[in-house]
Amino acid sequence: MAGEPKDLIWKNREHLILGDEVSTSQDSSAAGSSSSSASASAKRPEEHPAGFDRRGFLKASGFTLFLSALTGCEKWGKEVSLGMVNPSKGVIPGRAQTYASVCGGCSAACGVLIKSRDGRPIKLEGNPLHPLSRGGLCAVGQASILGLYDSRRTKLKPMIAGKASTWEALDEQLRQQLDKVRLSGGSVRFLTGSITSPTTRNLIQDFLKSFPDGKHVVYDALSSSAILDAHQRTHGQRVLPRYRLDQADLIVSFDADFLGTWISPVEYTAAYQTHRAPTQKDPRMSHHVHFESRLSITGSKADERVVVTPEELKAQIAGLAVQIAKLAGVNIPMKAPVQAADTSELAQGLWKARGKSLVLSGCQDTQVQVLVNFINHTLENYGKTLDLAQSSSQRQGNDAQLQELLKEINSGKVSALFVAGVDPLYELPLAKDFSKSIGTVVRFAERMDASAALASSEGGFFCPVSNEMESWSDSEPVNGVVCVNQPTLRALGDTRPLSVTLSNLMGSPNSDYQVVRAYWEKNVFSRKKDGPAGSFQAFWDKAVHDGCVEVEATPGDLKPFNMGALQDAPALTAASGMTLVLYPKVGLLDGRHAYNPWLQELPDPISKLTWDNYACLSPAKAKAMGVADGDVIGVGLPGKTELKLPAFIQPGQHDDIVAVALGYGSEASKRFDQIGPQWLEKRPTLGANGLVGAHAAGLLDLSGPTIRYEQNGVTLKVTGTRHPLATSQLYSYITVPDHLALPGLKRREAVLETTLAEWASKKDDKHAGHGHGREHDNGMWPDDHHTQQGKRWGMLIDLNKCTGCSACVIACQAENNIPVVGKDEVRRGRDMHWMRIDRYYAEREEKGKGKGQGQQGGSVDVAFQPMLCHHCDNAPCETVCPVLATAHSSEGLNEQIYNRCVGTRYCANNCPYKVRRFNWFKYRHDDETQNLALNPDVTVRSRGVMEKCSFCVQRIQEAKIEAKRIGTPLADGDIQPACQQSCPAQAIVFGDANDPGSQISTLRKDSRHYHVLEELNIRPSVGYMRLVRGHGHPGAGTDKGSNHG
Amino acid sequence: MLMRFAGSLSVTIALLLGLLISTGALIISATSSYHLPGNRQGYRPEQPIAYSHRLHAGELGIACLYCHSGAEKSRHAEIPAAATCMNCHGFVKSSLGALRAEEAKAGKEKRKVVPPQSEELSKLYAYLGLDANGKPDPKGTLKPIPWVKIHRLPDYVYFDHRAHLAVGVACQKCHGPIESMERVQQFSDLSMGWCVNCHRLANLSGINGLKVNASTDCVTCHY
Repeated sequence: MAGEPKDLIWKNREHLILGDEVSTSQDSSAAGSSSSSASASAKRPEEHPAGFDRRGFLKASGFTLFLSALTGCEKWGKEVSLGMVNPSKGVIPGRAQTYASVCGGCSAACGVLIKSRDGRPIKLEGNPLHPLSRGGLCAVGQASILGLYDSRRTKLKPMIAGKASTWEALDEQLRQQLDKVRLSGGSVRFLTGSITSPTTRNLIQDFLKSFPDGKHVVYDALSSSAILDAHQRTHGQRVLPRYRLDQADLIVSFDADFLGTWISPVEYTAAYQTHRAPTQKDPRMSHHVHFESRLSITGSKADERVVVTPEELKAQIAGLAVQIAKLAGVNIPMKAPVQAADTSELAQGLWKARGKSLVLSGCQDTQVQVLVNFINHTLENYGKTLDLAQSSSQRQGNDAQLQELLKEINSGKVSALFVAGVDPLYELPLAKDFSKSIGTVVRFAERMDASAALASSEGGFFCPVSNEMESWSDSEPVNGVVCVNQPTLRALGDTRPLSVTLSNLMGSPNSDYQVVRAYWEKNVFSRKKDGPAGSFQAFWDKAVHDGCVEVEATPGDLKPFNMGALQDAPALTAASGMTLVLYPKVGLLDGRHAYNPWLQELPDPISKLTWDNYACLSPAKAKAMGVADGDVIGVGLPGKTELKLPAFIQPGQHDDIVAVALGYGSEASKRFDQIGPQWLEKRPTLGANGLVGAHAAGLLDLSGPTIRYEQNGVTLKVTGTRHPLATSQLYSYITVPDHLALPGLKRREAVLETTLAEWASKKDDKHAGHGHGREHDNGMWPDDHHTQQGKRWGMLIDLNKCTGCSACVIACQAENNIPVVGKDEVRRGRDMHWMRIDRYYAEREEKGKGKGQGQQGGSVDVAFQPMLCHHCDNAPCETVCPVLATAHSSEGLNEQIYNRCVGTRYCANNCPYKVRRFNWFKYRHDDETQNLALNPDVTVRSRGVMEKCSFCVQRIQEAKIEAKRIGTPLADGDIQPACQQSCPAQAIVFGDANDPGSQISTLRKDSRHYHVLEELNIRPSVGYMRLVRGHGHPGAGTDKGSNHG
Repeated sequence: MLMRFAGSLSVTIALLLGLLISTGALIISATSSYHLPGNRQGYRPEQPIAYSHRLHAGELGIACLYCHSGAEKSRHAEIPAAATCMNCHGFVKSSLGALRAEEAKAGKEKRKVVPPQSEELSKLYAYLGLDANGKPDPKGTLKPIPWVKIHRLPDYVYFDHRAHLAVGVACQKCHGPIESMERVQQFSDLSMGWCVNCHRLANLSGINGLKVNASTDCVTCHY
């Protein structure tokens, strides 16, 4: 922390919004109204559950006692052990195999290692050999294992006109239908999302060639069409560049949430973090300037964050383009527009960092993207920070073609429509009956969704598609990096890969394996880097083993930069009134994973809310409207159905913005009707509409050439009803107001931060290596209590690298059999995540302006802090356990022994980090098939037992025993807990702190290292690396408000 | 008054009845086994195939790891795949004694030797989808053998065979004289006290004269 702590105080959201008047602890039963103080919640009696009075309690407990007396006796019955009949090659019962493959969670196509036990996959991990994802895997990828074991998926049958049928019948009938189409010369359209698999793309092309008029139409629900279109205009080819964030010293992002949800977040995070961890030897860091209207996690990590409306954002880009043109001495046919913020210093900085800078934009206006291309071109960034030779295929959507297709359908031109993967009826604002005039509709999907309705009538075919873990495929996320997607088990249901159905229809039945292998032999092998030497078999085997192989990129057809594209200046309209911003959330994205309970319960990194989408309003706007968190407001646009959503007050957001997450209100969320424990006081997880959240995609703008996520002229109406929200942070917090605080009591800072300039100049050495220092060292434990010899496990988390993306949260959930509890239990503060990410806000005063009076949305600093069991040497939990169910291991682990625990919860009370979780119920998977994803190496905890992070002790044990078996000592890095393995930013380091050569020992000597609550003398094993802010970076940018130096 | 009397009488009867039942239950449980709940020392269930460890491990001296090869490599010692049996029983279809006896008998009766069929082996062949003689049977289906589990640890215990084999703990240390058991029984009580005692002793006196580090941390087995 630079300077005096009182300059910059980490606050929770309530303080930020309401000031210091919030002082009362909140009743956890009313935790849904997370911002209201106790008096406010008293005004809303409907949030108090129906009373369960003392008499009722006694009656119920008496009855329970009686029942337990009746059923308490249990006998250990006969149990059968089934061995294999014929041994499977390489399968050793009890040992895990890993198979390299490709993640199917989104179109970023990260590399995964599928961990398989006894022939069934149980966990996905990042593949360190993958050149893009570099061993990281996001929350969506981690959670996709539940998609494999989804009983609603595996029960699906191929369907003809909505009736269950067989594949043979479907093939036969569909072939006849298509023959008719072929003879009549009708148009065939194949609608998909971005397909990174070259084999599948090729197969679709071959299939469509057999029709007189066949066309493959690609769209993305989270579209980047404008970027591709802009490159068509400026570079003569519709390509998406590969953004090389690891090559950039100065990153300027205009509303591109590249660390959260934009195109390929794991790849970008892995590249971004390489320049975000300054060391004492090399105290340099890339500089990141971010323009946005709502608060995204990328914005929270930015060194400078400028809050502008989407319309102002375009003006900013245009202004920057004019300034860069002036600096470069280029004439462009454009005048500088009026800008919300001054970008002249930024332009200077960019000009200085030519070739080492990168300008990104998520804007869906093609002409604005042309300007971004112009800026990058003028700054000589192409070929350095933007790679067009190794172009990306992670987004191929062409919104113009989609528009054309919709027109064709409406005019009745399309005779046969294939829809694979994407769910247009859910993702786009389309009428349910838009397909009436199509003769044949073939729907390929993993589960029944909104678009399955297309294939439910006469002439409709529904083909259940195998999961990516059940089929062979491949992927080429960027030109020249090809990956093999291999199956790890036989299809669980009566499903088939798309490639098999297509090759059947083409009259040459092939297995998915044959299709992929044949394509590789013909098209990929010839691109091998070291020439044609060697056999294809060896090449293929290596690719399957490693998961990916780098080959020569296919040459593009790039033209020199076309200045003529700048002729059409973007239309800059001055916005008035409120603008609606539709955004994807980390986890649910466009809603394709709405069936996934882990992702539904994953707290949003910024809002910390689960199980809902909501209308985010800035504190000032909410005050003006007189709404509090959970007050339902109607979000209306002319000509569209009004959307009713609970309001949520979001600091750091522009006052003229209302932001709503996409991906909710999906039919798939109906299944959560019975999720969570069923008991007397249970309140439903689903909203009044019978779904999780509200369907916001209906408000998308399809009228322009590209899908627009922002729309001006939105009306907000206060309805007077309430919809409780479930937050995973800030339930029942206790804050002592300053005037009541005991004399001498200090505010304890969990997050410490400094600025790069301060830290590099070593001005703040007083904190070096320590947080606040121990207040006293007269502990009750003897000195030899601490492990001095042997292993001593410790963890270190770099707060500067951590982006709050929450991959670790789901990785931990998958590894440690952590249950889903449902919305109501989250509201009661009973979420079970062992790893949680605390999000803190700090308000920074701007020069010459008072608090909160600076730029729009205020200068809000955000910090993310992963919080887990600290395995304290002097653990407060251990001293209070009456049954020694939590004890200390000789290797420094704080052990939680479930079979000993009697559930007093004293330990959770005494834990200063609040990381212990109690099993209030026997939590079960609502879908029993998903029990197959349970990790057999971790006990499934029962009701009445405390649990918490174990540092993945099952992995420690496995590695130790395996090392003992092989006879080699454990090396540093052999053991990776699930959170560390998954972290795309590599922010987590785990190792033996007693080993002077280990990475953790080295990092602990760094002056950025500190312990949270070190003053309590509990000696935690988890340390943090301080945040380093790049405010006032000498290289670039405006020096806004870093007065806390 | 009468009502109240009747009420207290019924309560007394109910109490007496309850006492009687619970005492009875206690007596039954105490006489049937002296073990603590969950302790199945001496458990010797009948198996679907009367496989004899005495014959195979004892008399024939087949190494334990020939069938239980997982013990070296994995947490589980592994129940051998049924196909493992066929490594020998593809050829050996009856015991030597039975074959000699048949040969003698056939010699006496001056007829061709009819190889005797082992009833137990026929069961094995049936699981493998073969006919009674171990020949391929088109109607046969593959079925795993439902061996009855003897050594069972609670779900919250993670025992690992690998660690014990790596330091040279003999199988018999825990499983008893398995090579002399016709039908296998649980030799040790598999209680936590029994585990921890051995770990402590091993730390004091080593195993086979070698110093070992047998951890007694809770998380060695519980996680």
